Amino acid sequence: MSPEALELELDRLHPAAFGWAIACCAGDRAAAEDALQASYLKILDGQARFDGRASFRTWLFAVVRNTAAELRRRAALRRLLPLAVLGATPDGRPDPATVLARADATRRLTAALAALPRRQREVLHLVFYQDLTIAEAAEVAGVSLGTARTHYERGKAALKKLLKDEPE
Amino acid sequence: MTERNDHDLGEQFHALRREDAAAAAPFHATLAAARARRAPPPGRRTRWLAAAAAAVAGVALALLFTRPDRGGGVTIDLATVRWKAPTDFLLALPGEELLRAVPELGRPRSTRDRRIP
Repeated sequence: MSPEALELELDRLHPAAFGWAIACCAGDRAAAEDALQASYLKILDGQARFDGRASFRTWLFAVVRNTAAELRRRAALRRLLPLAVLGATPDGRPDPATVLARADATRRLTAALAALPRRQREVLHLVFYQDLTIAEAAEVAGVSLGTARTHYERGKAALKKLLKDEPE
Repeated sequence: MTERNDHDLGEQFHALRREDAAAAAPFHATLAAARARRAPPPGRRTRWLAAAAAAVAGVALALLFTRPDRGGGVTIDLATVRWKAPTDFLLALPGEELLRAVPELGRPRSTRDRRIP
């Protein structure tokens, strides 16, 4: 794929990729922007190559997911080191500005999603938010179809319960 | 869980998607920020490289002009050197003087083991 074609595809999928990056960063918008920028750099520099085995969207989401995980690990390491006092690092929680900007219904949804285990949250996001099939979600999350299906069913039940329990 | 509930859940996720899309920075701005992250400003990079090169050259010159003996390395007078290995005591065996002296006929050595024929 030529660099121009690559940029066009990234441009087309940018809003969806941003939403996915937010989900990968547990609602932290600043961390999501970092992860997305780092992912685009990886792709444009050729560190991550699209080999055509999956759809471009599935592949891009996998790159974003892995990059967000790398940044999360680095941030956790920085928090452990004494250098952490030099600057605040994202701690994997939604930033207050993002929480305030949300409408009530979506705030309840994001709060309920934040209470779910990461895998369940990811699979639910990919299926309901990104309209991927469970098989595609499994590919992005790097798990088997059976595992993704289990995360989907358990996550959906837990999310439904959380939304029902929480007062409106 | 019914399909109706699934539909409601889907609607809520789609509302979330619309909010996120409205708040997303444009693609070109994200890309520009990413490229800016990749390349530090050239002036800053050049300054760092110049400082590093100057430091290396300084250390090399200091080594070159402050060495006491530029030509031949360290000279050791072997005649005055005495070194003993930490394991030398293992070489001290009982009765080793027998190995170092010429035996005298008719005079048994006091340290000789009489059980040996």
